[in-house]
Amino acid sequence: MGTQVKDVVIKSDAPSALLLDKHADYIAAYGSKKDDYEYTLSEYLRMSGIYWGLTVMDLMGQLTRMNQQEISDFIKSCQHDCGGVSASIGHDPHVLYTLSAVQILSLYDNVNVLDVDKVVEYVRGLQQEDGSFAGDKWGEIDTRFSFCAVATLALLGRLDAINVDKAVEFVLSCMNFDGGFGCRPGSESHAGQIYCCTGFLSIAGQLHQVNADLLGWWLCERQLPSGGLNGRPEKLPDVCYSWWVLASLKIIGRIHWIDKSKLRSFILACQDEETGGFADRPGDMVDPFHTLFGVAGLSLLGEGQIKDVNPVLCMPEDVLERLGLHPDLLS
Amino acid sequence: LKIRSPSLFLFSCWREILLHLETVRASNSYMSYPFLCISEEDDVQKMYEAELLFLESCLKVNPKSYGSWHHRGWVSARLPRPDWARELGLCDRCLSLDDRNFHCWDYRRMVVKMSGVPVDQELQFTDRLIGSNFSNYSSWHYRSTLLPLLHPESPDPPSPCHQHSHSSPPPSPQTHSHRVCEEQLLKEYELVQNAFFTDPNDQSAWFYYRWLLGRAEREEMISCVFVSREEERVAVAFSRPVNASSSGLMLVLDGQPQRVEWRSVHPHFRHSPVWVSFPSWSWPHLIVLLPSFKGRSESWCRDSATDQELFRSELSVEKTSVLQSELQSCNQLLELEPQNKWCLLTIVLLMRALDPLGYERETLSHFQTLKEVDSMRSAYYGDLCSKFMIENTILKMEYAEVRVFSLSDKNLTMLCHLDQLLLVTHINLSCNQLLRLPPQFAMLQCLEVLEADDNAIENLDGLYYLPKLQEVSLKNNQISKLSDLQLLTSCPKLTCLDLRGNPVTQIANIQSELTELLPSVTDLLI
Repeated sequence: MGTQVKDVVIKSDAPSALLLDKHADYIAAYGSKKDDYEYTLSEYLRMSGIYWGLTVMDLMGQLTRMNQQEISDFIKSCQHDCGGVSASIGHDPHVLYTLSAVQILSLYDNVNVLDVDKVVEYVRGLQQEDGSFAGDKWGEIDTRFSFCAVATLALLGRLDAINVDKAVEFVLSCMNFDGGFGCRPGSESHAGQIYCCTGFLSIAGQLHQVNADLLGWWLCERQLPSGGLNGRPEKLPDVCYSWWVLASLKIIGRIHWIDKSKLRSFILACQDEETGGFADRPGDMVDPFHTLFGVAGLSLLGEGQIKDVNPVLCMPEDVLERLGLHPDLLS
Repeated sequence: LKIRSPSLFLFSCWREILLHLETVRASNSYMSYPFLCISEEDDVQKMYEAELLFLESCLKVNPKSYGSWHHRGWVSARLPRPDWARELGLCDRCLSLDDRNFHCWDYRRMVVKMSGVPVDQELQFTDRLIGSNFSNYSSWHYRSTLLPLLHPESPDPPSPCHQHSHSSPPPSPQTHSHRVCEEQLLKEYELVQNAFFTDPNDQSAWFYYRWLLGRAEREEMISCVFVSREEERVAVAFSRPVNASSSGLMLVLDGQPQRVEWRSVHPHFRHSPVWVSFPSWSWPHLIVLLPSFKGRSESWCRDSATDQELFRSELSVEKTSVLQSELQSCNQLLELEPQNKWCLLTIVLLMRALDPLGYERETLSHFQTLKEVDSMRSAYYGDLCSKFMIENTILKMEYAEVRVFSLSDKNLTMLCHLDQLLLVTHINLSCNQLLRLPPQFAMLQCLEVLEADDNAIENLDGLYYLPKLQEVSLKNNQISKLSDLQLLTSCPKLTCLDLRGNPVTQIANIQSELTELLPSVTDLLI
């Protein structure tokens, strides 16, 4: 009697080997057909889409296959007068896409494609009196945006532009009974928000405020019998949580609380052997978003063929090394 | 999922249009109907109500769109006459379809705040949901935020030494169940117990219960001070990590404040429980820092671990009796469901709350079972068990010599509470499963002898500037490179080092390499 555990069953013929070349081919070809239906529909997040694609290619050592000039020109034309960057040409600026743009340009060591001072001004202007950050001029508040703000400024070496103490106070006010974090004060804990908040606290040098044992327990309970991870209790596993959950565990020093080999099997099963790329769960349609987080998750698990990924910024460690950025991690 | 939702951009455009229409209507009304009573407010009201109707259909298609919910909130805020009861009704309906929709819960919280819905009404709402649904983590979570508002514990009188430094904001009250008055807490135990007895596999109730069994975070205060004339050193241990270099820790001697620089015990930590100083005053003037110091070469002052309620919350008679009966009930449940890991873990937590030392044997046995029935998380259980065994050893320390500490042969997979070991001179960690001596190990500022044989140690990060460390035994570990031993050069008194049974001893010329690295180590065993 009682609740059945929501989970997937991995078929015996699911992929079990890592198909990096197929994934590189998939990403390199993605977006080459600009009138593809799905591609068009996702224009509203194009800047993030480019960040996902480039980062996963860099992690696989294949960044040179992407068109740096075309992308830099595109980014330049997406910066608005207010300093913020939009997802695509003619769209409105938002902190989500401002971060993606800065991340992309950091991969290319070319942030000066943007007017950096204006980016900093834009981010500073999004901070509210209570320390929180709005996503854009319309005022939606979310701890995701706190993360985007400090990550952007950290990459530009300009964290001093905001009131970090107040920002920390707001994020900590979003800590819940289970040690996790939600979107706003009072919001339920969710792995995506937990990633953003632990990443934020790492950049702000305040990780000691996290109850690592309690949160680590909540996070390791995301692992289901299939080996996959869900985002919160009683939800299905999804390969992107291999990133949100795993990176959070790495940041708080408890990644060993996950059964690594079972998770690895789950991630590999999410590959599509024909098209390349990763889907949210075995057998579903692939996309660049899940491809990045599948590969990044494998990197955190120690996959030799993939470059080391930084758990706070989801960028190759060697890029951050070049920038001199070493966000704290708990041991 | 992302593709099927109206994008943020679409809503941005609509809002621009709506804002424009607001002003157009206002100016039109004034210009066209200067003597009529139709208020432009009515026009704006109608415009936004139409918008709300449209939004409802959007939400039916995709109830999980950040953009749709935010836009609805934006519209509601601009309505001249918002109908919060209708909005609450919308939330009720949406949650009856999916009571885990966090967008809807967040929207509901906004509506409740704007319209002043009483807290106990919302609490009753959660009662209804919890009573009828299994998948109700969101409802328990909401309860955890409502209880401290409706049934607060009486506020502690402000203590003079309890200061919030600007760099360290207070923790969220939601993490501490002690913020709920005891009477209500005990009623809550009953409610949760009903839930997990009805369905022992409903994890939400077990998570919530763990919160109820939790305790307050300790106040920030000094828990131990150690002074050594010989090393000209003061070490201070706090009850939680602080940044003493910026938050004004003052050393006062004979009523005179001294200019002192503090450093944390390891460069890895900007925030640390233990700080050491190198005072620049000359020692003949150090007469009385601590009452016991006069004429001695070293002295210390430390609060009792048991008195401090170091590891568990204070138990009133009522609470003790309730927890005891909870333990009994959980044991009965365990007989029916011997493989239920939630029940096993909760029994362990109840035993820790009631009598950590008395239940040690049962605790170890339950952890063994947990590792078998929930093997994916065996590393978690190993670490949690290690933590509890270390706590028990610290509690036992109260009744014996405070400076010799043995943790040997306890299946330890990790080390913690090292801030409690500032005064320890001899520590035995042998025969465990430790992989390293972490940076926190540097908190053992008085350590003279370290025995850590028969582990799997490959990293000695924590042997950093331990000023009194003389003997180190690391037989049968996993030290494999000369660079692993580099940090030992920071320990000036080190004379004995036993590295037998480590891979590093197989390196060619290791004897001479080590003699060169550590010339003061006269007693080297490889």
